[in-house]
Amino acid sequence: MGPSGSGKSTLMNIVGCLDRSTNGKFLLLGQDVSNLNDEELAHLRREVLGFIFQTFNLIDRISVFKNVELPMVINEIPRERRKEKTVELLKAVGLGHRMDYNPLRLSGGEKQRVAIARALINDPKIIIADEPTGNLDLNSTHDVMRILNELNNEGKTIIMVTHNPEITENCGRVIRLRDGRIIEEAS
Amino acid sequence: MKLADILEYVGISFTADRFKTLMSSLGIIIGVMAIVVMLSVGEGLYSGVFSQFSQLNLDVIHVIPGTFSAGEHGPPTFRSTEEPARFTDNDVRALEGIAGIKQAAPRTSTQAIIQFRNKNASISLTAVSPKKEDDLWIKVAVGRFLTDSDDKAIVIGNGVSENLFRMKISPGNKIGLYNKDNYQEFKVVGVLEEEKESTSFGNNPNTAMYVTHKAMKDFLGEDNYYYDTIEVTAQDPAEIETVVDRIKEALKRYHKNEAFSAITARSMLSSLESILTMIKYALGGIGAVSLLVGGIGISNVMMLTVKDRIREIGVMKALGATTADIRRQYILEAGVLGLVSSLIGILLGSIASIAIGSLGGLPSLVTLQSIAIGVMFGIFTTTIAGVYPANKAAKLDPIEALRAE
Repeated sequence: MGPSGSGKSTLMNIVGCLDRSTNGKFLLLGQDVSNLNDEELAHLRREVLGFIFQTFNLIDRISVFKNVELPMVINEIPRERRKEKTVELLKAVGLGHRMDYNPLRLSGGEKQRVAIARALINDPKIIIADEPTGNLDLNSTHDVMRILNELNNEGKTIIMVTHNPEITENCGRVIRLRDGRIIEEAS
Repeated sequence: MKLADILEYVGISFTADRFKTLMSSLGIIIGVMAIVVMLSVGEGLYSGVFSQFSQLNLDVIHVIPGTFSAGEHGPPTFRSTEEPARFTDNDVRALEGIAGIKQAAPRTSTQAIIQFRNKNASISLTAVSPKKEDDLWIKVAVGRFLTDSDDKAIVIGNGVSENLFRMKISPGNKIGLYNKDNYQEFKVVGVLEEEKESTSFGNNPNTAMYVTHKAMKDFLGEDNYYYDTIEVTAQDPAEIETVVDRIKEALKRYHKNEAFSAITARSMLSSLESILTMIKYALGGIGAVSLLVGGIGISNVMMLTVKDRIREIGVMKALGATTADIRRQYILEAGVLGLVSSLIGILLGSIASIAIGSLGGLPSLVTLQSIAIGVMFGIFTTTIAGVYPANKAAKLDPIEALRAE
């Protein structure tokens, strides 16, 4: 948690291997990633990490099914396996009936559930969620948080940025940032 | 990403925005079409001239005054550093004395004013040795050809008889010829068969007229009478190159510091061939310019596409797509568009070429080579056009791209 400009997103970008730290070390699964090239970072992003964004970032040109399937396509997983996993995950987030929809036709909550399914498709060890409920109404926020809590209980690491103090209630560890520094860390 | 998957996404891009796809492909379609049409017209011109040449007797050696270099190394050139040689009966006798030569037929041409029933026209008049023209291409339709003893007799081409004055001139008719102030009357003794137009290079045989050298000399009224050209026939066409060398060797003795040439239609053909090939590719080049414009169009559209999809590219990268994945996707998007557009361009270009050939009267011939060149350039241009936008997309910083509106 932290106010705007406190460095939350930058931290998330570094943790998400989208950015490199200007100084200091970032160890991911015990590996220092600061010396990896773009190729190796991309590899980490598709094998180890899953992303959930505030603005969902679904691709409007392709169906819900194809959005969820996309990380597996990038990861060169065979077609049958892709289909099986995609259908399974979309059903798990309660959108089995929306597979052929265009993302533009979904509500905000539905979009974020699609994004969660997409983040999970490559079985990541860590899920990076940058204000996942920031654009959602109360009901949708509950839905999304319920799913994330379930995932966490199943053993997934979820690193989340939020402004909403209510949400932090279920979190195992809360870090507060200000001006790029950790000011409080509570478990 | 696997190639098949990238192609599937490329296909989705095309069908998602059909109008944009159509507009960007139109430039390539028209460009490839232009290349095919231009090359076909060039090819038609080429084979048209070639087929006309093949009707000529390729094995006649033309001995002419002046320097005419008809080599494989470019177009024929005329140079005038030396005085052109003047041919007389001495040369004819010398030529006929060379081993391997069947005969040497001298000719002299001039432009004369012809008068028939108070109407005038300017027409080319050629003096020949009648006995030696059997082997050449003149065939008489009505009347007879000249004989050596003819004086004021004339044989006229079919066009002179039928078209020139809209009056039929038949054997027995008299026509008048002017050379400056010298007016002479000739009696028509024969009319030639109609030839397909311009089978003879330069002159239309249908509007030719023939007299004997005796009559020509009298008609020109000059003291010194020279031959314009001596047409030499070899006994064995296979040995024509050796004969040409012997001719050059023999005539050098008579014409020390004078320029003359011995050329065959075959050697002219080879130099003409290089000119026509140049013309063909120049025409293709004009087509290529329109293709270039089409390529710029594609590049432009691809830049807009990348700009439109900047966020999508960011997402793809966040999801683990590599720079190579992104680059391949956008180059393929341009390349596939180029392939499909080129094929359509080929189809339309072939139809247009055939239409031009059959309706427009222009010669045109669609060859596999033109098609291959068209497709090759089409794909090449679009792929090149796609490289810059694709690189731009591939090198986007994922954070910046995700932040873009």
